[in-house]
Amino acid sequence: MTGPAPAPTISPKGPAHFLHRFDVMGTVVTIDVWGEPSTPTSRISSLLERACLSLRDADDVFSTWKVDSPVSRLRRGEITVSMTPPEVAEVLDLCSAARELSDGWFDPWALPGGVDPTGYVKGWAAQRALAELEDPSVTGVIVNAAGDIACSGGLGRSEPFRFGIVNPFATGEVLCVVHGATALATSGIYERGLHLVDPHTGSTAAKVASASVTGPDLGLADALATAVAVAGEEGLTVVDAIEGYDAMIVTLDGAMRWTAGFPIEAR
Amino acid sequence: MNYSWGVLSVSVTATGRTITKVGIASIDDGGNPRSQSIDQQSIPMLEQQAMQAQSANIQGVSGASYTSTGFQQSLQSALGKLNIQ
Repeated sequence: MTGPAPAPTISPKGPAHFLHRFDVMGTVVTIDVWGEPSTPTSRISSLLERACLSLRDADDVFSTWKVDSPVSRLRRGEITVSMTPPEVAEVLDLCSAARELSDGWFDPWALPGGVDPTGYVKGWAAQRALAELEDPSVTGVIVNAAGDIACSGGLGRSEPFRFGIVNPFATGEVLCVVHGATALATSGIYERGLHLVDPHTGSTAAKVASASVTGPDLGLADALATAVAVAGEEGLTVVDAIEGYDAMIVTLDGAMRWTAGFPIEAR
Repeated sequence: MNYSWGVLSVSVTATGRTITKVGIASIDDGGNPRSQSIDQQSIPMLEQQAMQAQSANIQGVSGASYTSTGFQQSLQSALGKLNIQ
């Protein structure tokens, strides 16, 4: 997407709930904001505008679809990391840490066509947009980047948000509900076909129908969801060892398994 | 509204404040065969998902999908016009 950022379109939903939709990063990001009833709409507008600029900036820098983006030029070897905006080095460092934490199951350097941090960027950008929405007048925020969710606060009186996880075998259905997660990412084979690459073999492979990860940061959760989708059950053990993060898989035969701390609601 | 593979709009039928039907008002996916096959599979599922989300009292859905976001947003926009959210 090029051109100036659009003015936020705000749909008031009740006295203090605002919904904003933003087309960016080849997909749609939705932002829900709950504010104190006395919060002026103009305040929410200005916060949303900041969040949208942050997302647009991430898209401009990291897009692998835009041929002239710094990351596209980096991938082609036209420039070095030191010639890119500082957030590129920041994200590559985070990718490197995620590679280590995931025992190599998440590896942007093992993908065809050169280093591709896309598996980290969507969650990272949503988390950064969420930070732009922190404000004393705001009681709850959800940034949902095409199914990867970062949130803070809740539905008034600190009632935590509840999110559904899609049934990978019947994507019209919600398989289960999690609550109290600050970040929730899901990866699966039904998303964009077999786009998941096993960094250890280079082949396209997914050992599960879907993998979801919760934790404090959506960038890492996003990367770990990709890792678990490729690693399968072994990935649960990997995530379980990472402080603050939990995972759930739906196996290819439809069974659900999760780590002890995964915030799934009893059905 | 635009989604990753084309333009889609959603219709919502409501009785009072309860959704009774969700449907695709129009879809233009540019004739892309992959997109069309995804549309055929996912749109009926997404209609069902929207209905379920409403009844499940959840604030969002996490999943690996891309048509669904287009659908959800168009749905939310349609709901906004009906002022039932």
